[in-house]
Amino acid sequence: MSQVSFDTHTPFGATLLKRTALSADTALFTVAPERSALELLSAFVPGQFLQLSVPGAGEVPISPADLPAADGSIDLCVRRVGHVTELLHNLPEGARLGLRGPFGTGFPIEAMTGHPVLLLAGGLGIAPLRSLLCHLLRNHSRFGEITLMYGAREQRLMLFREELAALARQGRLRLYLTVDFAPEEPGGNFSCAVGLLPDLLKGFRFDAPGSYVAVCGPPPLYRCLAADLERAGVAPERIFFSLERRMRCGIGRCCHCAIGQQLCCIDGPVFALSELKRIPEAL
Amino acid sequence: MDKSFLDQTRLAEFLQTLRLFGELHGPTVSEEGVASFAPLNRDSLLRLDYRRTQIPPKKYLIPFREEILAYREGSYRESSQQAPEIVLFGLHPCDLAGIAYLDRVFLGDRPDPSYASRRAKLTLVGVSCEPDDFCFCNESLGSTACDLFLSAVPEGFEITAWSAKGEEIAQAAQEFLVKASFGTGNRSAPSPLSSRPGTGSDSSDSSDSSDSSDSSGATPTCRGVRPQDPQLRFSEHPLWQIFAERCVSCGACSVCCPTCYCFDVREYPGLSGGATRIREWDNCLFLSHGEVAGANFRAIRLERLRYRFLHKYCGFTPLQGMTSCVGCGRCRKVCPVDIDLRELFTEPAAPDTP
Repeated sequence: MSQVSFDTHTPFGATLLKRTALSADTALFTVAPERSALELLSAFVPGQFLQLSVPGAGEVPISPADLPAADGSIDLCVRRVGHVTELLHNLPEGARLGLRGPFGTGFPIEAMTGHPVLLLAGGLGIAPLRSLLCHLLRNHSRFGEITLMYGAREQRLMLFREELAALARQGRLRLYLTVDFAPEEPGGNFSCAVGLLPDLLKGFRFDAPGSYVAVCGPPPLYRCLAADLERAGVAPERIFFSLERRMRCGIGRCCHCAIGQQLCCIDGPVFALSELKRIPEAL
Repeated sequence: MDKSFLDQTRLAEFLQTLRLFGELHGPTVSEEGVASFAPLNRDSLLRLDYRRTQIPPKKYLIPFREEILAYREGSYRESSQQAPEIVLFGLHPCDLAGIAYLDRVFLGDRPDPSYASRRAKLTLVGVSCEPDDFCFCNESLGSTACDLFLSAVPEGFEITAWSAKGEEIAQAAQEFLVKASFGTGNRSAPSPLSSRPGTGSDSSDSSDSSDSSDSSGATPTCRGVRPQDPQLRFSEHPLWQIFAERCVSCGACSVCCPTCYCFDVREYPGLSGGATRIREWDNCLFLSHGEVAGANFRAIRLERLRYRFLHKYCGFTPLQGMTSCVGCGRCRKVCPVDIDLRELFTEPAAPDTP
């Protein structure tokens, strides 16, 4: 990462190709970066983030939901939650955007080679993990069994559920879903557990000492999952959390994403639990 | 390093020479008694007997608010502002150390374009100082982190150039500088800083120096303040609780700190379709600083206060382990509730067991 030959301060141009609604407030934005940035983006490692600019509104850190497509386009899963994302959701297809990055550390995909991988996603945390999942599935012969546990508040907020269910039916993925609240309308071809992610993990038998675990979700989930995973026998060096902070600059200057003496934008956002244990305010 | 002597009666000529190298700025005191670095349009504005300015010289490198990007016709472009050449005169060693620290942050890998352009056009001329009760550095002897340094000696200043630009200035001023080799033991005589001639103002009633007692005795030092073991010093020490009960999160200590640089970034749409992205000083003592969706990582004041001083004394990546406090004493002076971090460092470390 020491060789930085691109301008990290000025966004390059991008065009909004397509918006696909995923839930009432969340959509998948397919963005085409300008040609000159394609090489830069091809270095993307799942778990890294981009700074997405909506002209006139500002910039938000977004972790892509997939690896860059063959044509270089990128999928960004964004919830309508603040000033910038509100404007993004109102943009027509073809609108101009800006991108900087990719920034930060990704998941240790090299170290994961040859090992079973357990992905734990809570809510919108499925977005960064989906890019890791895509990488694992496309190179599945190099990895052990892939398991995804995904918890959402309720069934209609569960993102990518058809896609994930199809992968599970094909046997490419062990999939466990859970919702906090039971669906009000019964029926349909979709079933899942009711409860929180840690509840799913409780009954789960897996090769704990041999596995790598990647976690992304709301902050309160982490402390609880960290303890459960360790108790199950996963080494803290093999448990990776993607931490959410409000990165402003993305290059370790503005200090908005400081965690203890680390900066989430350059030392993270993916941290091993063994590192986080040394940072008092991390979890 | 070549040294020369500037007689205090030639100070005005020296200032005139400095003006050849850029807009001359230096310490001034307003009618309200606030010391600040400001343009020296007239020599009489200069107040070399100042103790510390309220706002540190970081404002020359990181303006309170500045445009960093402009969005026009479909793309973002770096805002190109031409920074003027500025000669900043009269900086104390602590402020020079502050700028040296900012240089490491902003000119390290991925140099910040705006900072770099301002810094390239800033000439630093340091002056030795006399500490007051708020100071806690131990560098009053001098500094090399500048282009030119003026050490007060009887009847004038001993001048040392520390850069090519500094030598250029000394060269330009050579007709009234006396080449001399100084011994190092001639500091016992009173410094001319306490009664400044040649500045055209009487320095007896500067409100900024009124609260100082020129104690030449044991000056407390900050460089002696060791970050120690951050886990001990910055964990559960009871003093944090005491400080936090007093702290009002006003953020003054951070605003006036010569090495606090954190910033926020905002973007505003223009009426004609473009947009402007700005960055402005932010403050880690404000509640909004640690906000994320649905949570705040430093929701209580104690955490914010402790976080600020953890950063100050123990540093972050990539400058972890580096103390960025330069001992200028501004935070102690401005704190409305008299929080003095030195208390923490004179206390024994927190015990291992709670």
